[in-house]
Amino acid sequence: MRGWLTLFLMLAASPAAAQSVVTSTAPDAVAVSVFRDPERSEGGEIERDWLNGFALISETRTIDLAAGESVIRFEGVAEGMIAVSAIVTGLPGGVVQKNRDAALLSPASLLDGSLGNRVHIRRTDRATGRVSEDEAIIRSGPQGAVVLQTAAGFESLRCTGLPESIIYNGVPAGLTAKPTLSVTTRSLAAQRVTVTLTYLSTGFDWASNYVARVAADGRTLDLFAWLTIANSNGESFADAQLAAIAGTLNTVSDFDSLADVPQAPPLRLTCFPLGTGRYGIPSPPPPPAPAAYLDNEGDNIVVTAQRRSAPMMESAMAVSVVAELENLGDLKLYRVPIPVTVVANGQKQVALLVKDGVPFKTIYRLRSSPGDTFESMEVERVLRMENKEAARLGVPLPSGQVAVFAPRGDESLLVGEGQVRDHAVGEKVDLVIGESSQVRVDIIEGVAPKMADGDYRVTVTNANPFAVDFELGFYVDSDPKLDKRLRKLPRRDGLLTWAIRVPANDSRSFDYRFVEPD
Amino acid sequence: MRALARTCGAVVVAGVLAGQPVAAQDPTAGNAQGQLSVTIYNGGQALVQDIRQIAFPTGRSRQEFPDVSAQIRPQTVSFAADGTAIVEQNFDYDLLSPNALMQKAVGETVTLLRTNVATGAETRERAKVLAVNGGVVLQIGPRIEILRDDGMPVRVIFDKIPINLRAKPTLSITVDSKSAGTRAATLSYLTAGLGWAADYVSLYDEKAGTIDVQGWVTLTNTTGTTFDQARTLLVAGTPSGQPANSRYRPQPQGNLRRAGIETAPREQLGDYYLYPLAERTTIANAQTKQVSFLDVSGVPAQKIYEYAVSGFDTMTEPRSAASVIKFNTSAKGGGLGDALPAGTVRFYQRDLRGDPQFIGENSIGHTPMGSELGLATGEAFDVKVQSTVVKRERMSPRIWRTSMSYLLTNARAQPVKIDLVQRGLDWYWDDTRIITESQKSERLDSDGTKWRVAMPANGEVTITATFETRY
Repeated sequence: MRGWLTLFLMLAASPAAAQSVVTSTAPDAVAVSVFRDPERSEGGEIERDWLNGFALISETRTIDLAAGESVIRFEGVAEGMIAVSAIVTGLPGGVVQKNRDAALLSPASLLDGSLGNRVHIRRTDRATGRVSEDEAIIRSGPQGAVVLQTAAGFESLRCTGLPESIIYNGVPAGLTAKPTLSVTTRSLAAQRVTVTLTYLSTGFDWASNYVARVAADGRTLDLFAWLTIANSNGESFADAQLAAIAGTLNTVSDFDSLADVPQAPPLRLTCFPLGTGRYGIPSPPPPPAPAAYLDNEGDNIVVTAQRRSAPMMESAMAVSVVAELENLGDLKLYRVPIPVTVVANGQKQVALLVKDGVPFKTIYRLRSSPGDTFESMEVERVLRMENKEAARLGVPLPSGQVAVFAPRGDESLLVGEGQVRDHAVGEKVDLVIGESSQVRVDIIEGVAPKMADGDYRVTVTNANPFAVDFELGFYVDSDPKLDKRLRKLPRRDGLLTWAIRVPANDSRSFDYRFVEPD
Repeated sequence: MRALARTCGAVVVAGVLAGQPVAAQDPTAGNAQGQLSVTIYNGGQALVQDIRQIAFPTGRSRQEFPDVSAQIRPQTVSFAADGTAIVEQNFDYDLLSPNALMQKAVGETVTLLRTNVATGAETRERAKVLAVNGGVVLQIGPRIEILRDDGMPVRVIFDKIPINLRAKPTLSITVDSKSAGTRAATLSYLTAGLGWAADYVSLYDEKAGTIDVQGWVTLTNTTGTTFDQARTLLVAGTPSGQPANSRYRPQPQGNLRRAGIETAPREQLGDYYLYPLAERTTIANAQTKQVSFLDVSGVPAQKIYEYAVSGFDTMTEPRSAASVIKFNTSAKGGGLGDALPAGTVRFYQRDLRGDPQFIGENSIGHTPMGSELGLATGEAFDVKVQSTVVKRERMSPRIWRTSMSYLLTNARAQPVKIDLVQRGLDWYWDDTRIITESQKSERLDSDGTKWRVAMPANGEVTITATFETRY
């Protein structure tokens, strides 16, 4: 499978310089770096049906060059290859030109390319089974229908009601099965060279999935993250150096349209009107059903590591391979330290990070404008950690989904789910993991007899048998005319915030006055 | 068998089949293109010049031109050959199909070849086509019949194809020639479907502060036609007032930081730079072709972070600054030293193992030499901005004061520089003033002001400012 194949063909198109064509069928070694979908929202998941990320693929190939000008055809590349991004290094004579040929062999292109050429028309007699073949010349283009010139005169294909078909004598030049990248190079002598082909390819994506397991004391958690990488290309990459890149890249080109395989137009044959309609028009052959492709796509997911849900139930996570982090400019590169195989239409998971015993706090949080009123409003549950080494974390946290588990006896139960954005080292990490119906907020305005219009009272109630930390952030600009009680509040996350500890099965209140400015 | 009368015709056709098809009738007997020159513009438009050797008879003759672009704009065709004068130019697109053939056969006689489904025996008869209206009405001797009304197999054989039914749209020119003989005829026309843009590969070395840039011109041929051995010239420009039908998305503003005033040492045509390909090349249909035109190493480039706060906003979460690579295209003082045609710049940077990794891309317009470019490659994971409206005060019925605080954090192990811009200062009332600021800013225009802030490694800086506005 791994190897090279050399063909020496004289190209008719280039009579001046003799060119040899070398076909490189497969790489010797391959490295795949996967980028997330640039459009995906923070903490979003992989869309397995339509992977919107991409990858940088770097392949090492061995090629035998002839002296003189050679055309190297690269086969076995990813289907989603973005040919304009291809870089070929290691050729002693450099690259004269790169071409991506996408004129595909199809029933319509075969007919179009055979226009004016001699073909055979084969007719089968339904009664006797006798097969006759006659010479014919194709006289019409592939739009609409086929008109043939035969020894008898001019006829139309498949308007007769007879079983008939065109037999071609050969494939017209320039038609290929798949879009093909080739480079033209010049070499002074015949030699074996090692070249590196680097290109971007669509049809990849990755995401990080965090599992936070709260310790029995409720003060620390064990944080674990899966690196989930998916490939929807028909090509597998065996023993690849695999990396995933976190951060947000700027992209301007439409990768999908650049990588697109041009749709071969279906060949639709039409006839002059036949009959009166009583028997209907003999229907043209149905276009090839696309159903054959459906089975392969998406269903065939291979998970080579453990599935996410399975280990959650276990009390401890034992992993032997964890992705290695390095800085790549302003991005973060996670390298899988062992060669792995990225299979076609498959998804792979390896450990992204493991951090045990991370201290955290649970905060109950609400944000509102000072003029808002609420009745028994549920509040957000937030897990707060400091992304610092002193707080047993201190690693970049790429955005992803988070699932939080808490122990119940020997079991671990899901207690919350949420998303996390990209967090740099040193940042505060607030994970919103759901809402609480035990901690609620009332904000009332101007209730007689004691309160006037513009007088507000916030009451937070705690139905839990334990004390909770509550924060109410006000969306308001500090203004000298603002009620001093609001103005003196400390700022958290940019907002004037009333922070209070509410004892078990108790409530706390806060009064302020607020009039909407003109 | 009444086909006896047709035997003669059949022999003639057999003769045609035995030999090569007649060139004038057959648009694809080999490639009819002559010496080709193709000039390609950015907007997906090209000028094709095709010099063909044509044997002109004396007097008036009609010349067909197969193998012109399938997306030819026929109204732009021009033709010149010594000793000839143009009578008329035609572009015919009455295409040959069974239906068109039958429509044109109304009033004509065709041959019906019936096959007996039980025995396979063939019978032949002549029929006159009376009408083709939702069905073909035939007259066979005294009988009137509808073609294949019974669903039984019938081959309809036409004697000829009407002269104006063609396999493909066909350009023809009728000329008057003073003398007979084979002479060079120059055909030129504009076509859609042939365009180009540039693709740049830029390897950024963060430690050295340099980029290596390779430029490739990328030709895209979607005309449906292959141009054989064409002399190819690329023009960096779109000679049209229409917006270019580019394959690139509209580019964000501000990539060209300062337009250059130097002239690149390349051929020019009016305002356009020309990029001729060194050799004749075949531009195949559905092909994307790339040819190198630029290779420069060690161009000084600096990275800077940029963030623009759009208004007086309080952010509850910090946001990443853009990481921008800046370089200039001047020939003097260590610039790139060339004009850059519009296209996509892809940046790469080596990882710890030394392998180049993709770090983002951006697009540029046509860039004169001597320009300064600032291309955002993405958002920095480790450099963030969080702005807070600390105080907003009404000084008088029409004057407001807003105190802003910007927390800039750098989680990188190196000190970095960031350009922090406050936008939205000019909200119809452009007499916004900066009352106080913790660091002197540079007022960009009535709408924005910029602080260049040096941030220590793994550190943070707070910038504060008070603005007086009329809103």
